[in-house]
Amino acid sequence: MDRRTAIRNLALVLSSAAILPACTKDNPTAHFKHFDVTGDQEALIADLAETIIPKTTTPGAKDLNLDKFVWLMLDDCTKKEDQQAFFKGMDKFNDLTKKMYSKSFADCSKTEKAAILATFEKKPGAKPTGRNPSGKKDDKPEKKDELQAFYGTVKGLTVFGYTQSQYFMTKEIVYELVPGRYNAHFPVKNNMKA
Amino acid sequence: MANLNIDSAKERTFDAIVIGSGISGGWAAKELTDKGLKVLMLERGRDVKHIKDYPTTNMYPWEFKHRGVLPMAVQEANPIVNRCYAFGESAAHFFVKDNEHPYVQTKPFDWIRGYQVGGKSLLWARQTQRWSEFDFEGPARDGFAVDWPIRYQDIAPWYSHVEKFAGISGNKDGIAELPDGEFLPAFPLNAVEEYFRKHVKVNYQNRHVISARCAHLSKPNQIHLDQGRAQCQERTICERGCPFGGYFSSNASTIPWALKSGNLTIRPFSVVESIIYDEKKGKASGVRIVDTNTKKTEEFYSRIIFVNAAALNTNLILLNSKSHRFPNGLGNDSGVLGKFVAFHNYSAHIGAEVEGFEEWATDGRNPAGGGYIPRFRNVYKQETDFLRGYACGFSAYRGFKHSYDGFGEDFKAGLASKEYGPWRVGSHMMGETIPKETNFVKLDDSKKDAWGVPLLDISVDYDDNDEKMKKDYIEQLTEMFTSAGFKNIQPSTNHQAPGLDIHEMGGVRMGKDPKTSMLNKWNQLHACTNVFVTDGASMTSTSCQNPSLTYMALTARAVDHAVSESKKGNV
Ligand SMILES: Cc1cc2nc3c(=O)[nH]c(=O)nc-3n(C[C@H](O)[C@H](O)[C@H](O)COP(=O)(O)OP(=O)(O)OC[C@H]3O[C@@H](n4cnc5c(N)ncnc54)[C@H](O)[C@@H]3O)c2cc1C
Ligand code: SF4
Repeated sequence: MDRRTAIRNLALVLSSAAILPACTKDNPTAHFKHFDVTGDQEALIADLAETIIPKTTTPGAKDLNLDKFVWLMLDDCTKKEDQQAFFKGMDKFNDLTKKMYSKSFADCSKTEKAAILATFEKKPGAKPTGRNPSGKKDDKPEKKDELQAFYGTVKGLTVFGYTQSQYFMTKEIVYELVPGRYNAHFPVKNNMKA
Repeated sequence: MANLNIDSAKERTFDAIVIGSGISGGWAAKELTDKGLKVLMLERGRDVKHIKDYPTTNMYPWEFKHRGVLPMAVQEANPIVNRCYAFGESAAHFFVKDNEHPYVQTKPFDWIRGYQVGGKSLLWARQTQRWSEFDFEGPARDGFAVDWPIRYQDIAPWYSHVEKFAGISGNKDGIAELPDGEFLPAFPLNAVEEYFRKHVKVNYQNRHVISARCAHLSKPNQIHLDQGRAQCQERTICERGCPFGGYFSSNASTIPWALKSGNLTIRPFSVVESIIYDEKKGKASGVRIVDTNTKKTEEFYSRIIFVNAAALNTNLILLNSKSHRFPNGLGNDSGVLGKFVAFHNYSAHIGAEVEGFEEWATDGRNPAGGGYIPRFRNVYKQETDFLRGYACGFSAYRGFKHSYDGFGEDFKAGLASKEYGPWRVGSHMMGETIPKETNFVKLDDSKKDAWGVPLLDISVDYDDNDEKMKKDYIEQLTEMFTSAGFKNIQPSTNHQAPGLDIHEMGGVRMGKDPKTSMLNKWNQLHACTNVFVTDGASMTSTSCQNPSLTYMALTARAVDHAVSESKKGNV
C-alpha cells in the first residue's frame, strides 16, 4: 500500500465517526464526508426506516440504528450524482407529504405515513434500489425519477442493513460461520410460512 | 526472513531461485526443496502467513462496516479490479489496486493480480480439471498455434502427483475429454442439477453434466493432515484465506511444506527486475531484484531459475532481461516472446426458471459451486465453423421466497420467511480462445514503474472465432434448457474485456521448434536451458478447462527434470 492509499484509508475510517446527534432542527447537525445533514433530514430517514421495518415484538429500524446505516452507505458507498439525486428526491418527498397532509412526515400519524409509502409501492419497480439485499454489485441500476429513486434507496439500504444486521442474522435466521454444511438434497416437508 | 545478512556473493547464492510465490511458484519451491535443494523464493509483495494474515477470515457479515460493499472512493479509484466479482470489503486486501501497479492498455485488458506471498492462490475459485489429449493434440489437429511438444500421457502422472497433495474433490466420471484424477469425494449435485445430468445423459450423445471438481478437502487424507490442513467446513468465504486450509493455496499447503524442509528462504518485497545472463557460461547466473522498501538493487545467484511470476509478469521479466546475447529478451531468438497470448472467453450467461422439484431444497453452501459441463463441441471431429470449444458452469439454486414489495409489519416478518421460492438455474460459458501473433504484450520503455521497471503494454482482443463460439453456446444451452423443460430462459452476453477471466496465458510458449517457440518439452528456454518457465506463460494453447492445475503439474514435472539434469551436470 502506498502512502496516499494509507492516508485515504485512514480518512475513510475517521470520517465515519462524524455522525453526531441532532441538536437543532434546521442547522446542519451531522457532517459527513460528502454532505451535511439537518436534524429534520435525520429524523425523516429515521421515521421512514422505522415505517419500513417497524418495531414489533422484535426490534425495529430505530432500535437497530438502520437510519445511521442508510446515511453511512449513502456517504461512503454511493456515487456523487446519486447522492445529489437523493437529496433532490428528499425535497420532493417533503413536498409530497406537505401536499398530502399539510405537515411533515415526522408529524404524520402511523396511518398517514403508511398512506404516503403506499403511493410509492403502487408504482412499478418499487423494489429496493441501490444495493440489492445480497450486496452484489449492481451493474445497471434502473433509471427512475428522483422521488422514486429516493424511496428505493432508503428502502433498499434499510432492508439491506436489516437483513445483514447481527440481530437478524443471529435471531431471525441463523448464519453459521463455522462449521458450515452442505446438504444437496434437503427435504422440504411443509413449505409453510415460518 | 526479510532480513538476510547478505554481504558476500556466497551468501547470495542458492541451488535454485523461484520467482513468484503463487500457485506455480509454491509448487516449484515444494518440489525443489523436497529434492534437497537450497531454494530462494523471491516475491514482489508482502508476506502473508497462513491464518495469521487473514484479517477478515472469521468476521461475520455484520462486522464489515459496509456489509461487504466497498466504499465508492475505492471502487472509483479502481475501475479495473473493481470489475472482479471477488473484489469486495472482505478480500480487497489481497488484490492489486489499479494505481499501485499501472500498465498500458493498447487494447482494453482487465489485468487482475494478487501481489503477495501466495499470489492469486488465496483468491482463486478453486475449480480444477485436467486437460485432455484433445487439448494437447488440438493445435496439431486443428492447425492453430503450434504443436504442443507434450501429450496427455506425458503430464498424466504429474497431475496425479499434484492432485494427491493438493486435494481435489470430484467423481470418476469416465469422460475422455475430461480425464479422471486422484479424487477426494465430490460435492454432490442437488436435485435439479441431478435431474439435468440425467436429462443430458439420456438425450445428448457426448454431453455430460458432472459435479464440479475443485481443490477442497472434502475428506482429507493423511498427506493433507501432515500439511496442517483440515477438512473443508463449507463456509464458502474462501477468498478471505481459509484458517482450516480447507482449500489449496500456496500459503496453506506448498509453502509451509517447503519451509519445514529447512531448505527454503522466502524474500518478500523483492521485485525481480531481470534475469542475469552470463555470456561466458552461456547460461543464466542469477537474478537482479529491487527491494521495494529500500529501492536498492541486489543480485542473487543460482544454477537453476524457475520463473513463476504469473503469465504476463513472466513475459515482462523475460522481455526486460536483455543482454548482448539476447537484445530482445532472454531466450528470444525466435522473436515470439510476448506473442500468442490467449485467454478464456467468459462473456455469455444463461439463466432460467424451473418448475417442480418442490420437495427438495439445499441446505448450506456448496464449495464446488455446483455442476460442470465439459467441452462437447469439435471434440471428436470438427463440426462447427469455429475452432475449439467451450465448457459450461451449471448450477441450480433455490432460495427463500422473500417479497421486496411493501413495508411495515408483514413485510418485516416476510423477510425472515422460511418458505421456499422456485428453483432457478444458471450457466456461464468458458470458451477457449485461439493464440494469435497479433495478441501480444511488450515493454513500454518510456514509462517506468516505481522500481524503474518498464510498464507492460498489453494488446489482446477477441476475434471472430470467439463471437461464433459465443453464439453457439447461447444456441446450444438454450436448446438443452428448453428440452429439459426449463422456463423463461434468459441468455445474456456482455463485452467484458479480456483478462477478467483471469486465465491469461502464453507469450513464452512451449513447442518443438525453437524457431516458433520459447520453451522445450521440459519448460526450459530452448536458448538458455537453466531457466524454466512453468506458469501460464508457457501454455501453447489454452484449452477451455481452468488452467491452474495444469500449471502445478507442469511445474512438478519440470522440477523433476531440472534436478535430474542438474545432477548429470547438464544444467
Ligand atoms: C478471483 C479469481 C478466481 C480464479 N478462479 C480460478 C479457478 O477457479 N481455477 C483456476 O484454475 N484458476 C483460477 N484463477 C486463476 C489462478 O488464480 C491463477 O491461474 C494462478 O494463481 C496462477 O498461478 P501463478 O503461479 O502463475 O501466479 P500467481 O498465483 O498470481 O502468483 C504469481 C506471484 O508472482 C509474484 N510476482 C509477479 N511479478 C514478480 C516479480 N517481478 N518479482 C517477484 N515476484 C513477482 C506475484 O506477486 C505473485 O505472488 C482465479 C483467479 C482469481 C483472482
Ligand atoms: S469453504 Fe472450505 S475452504 Fe472455503 S473457507 Fe470454508 S472451510 Fe475454508
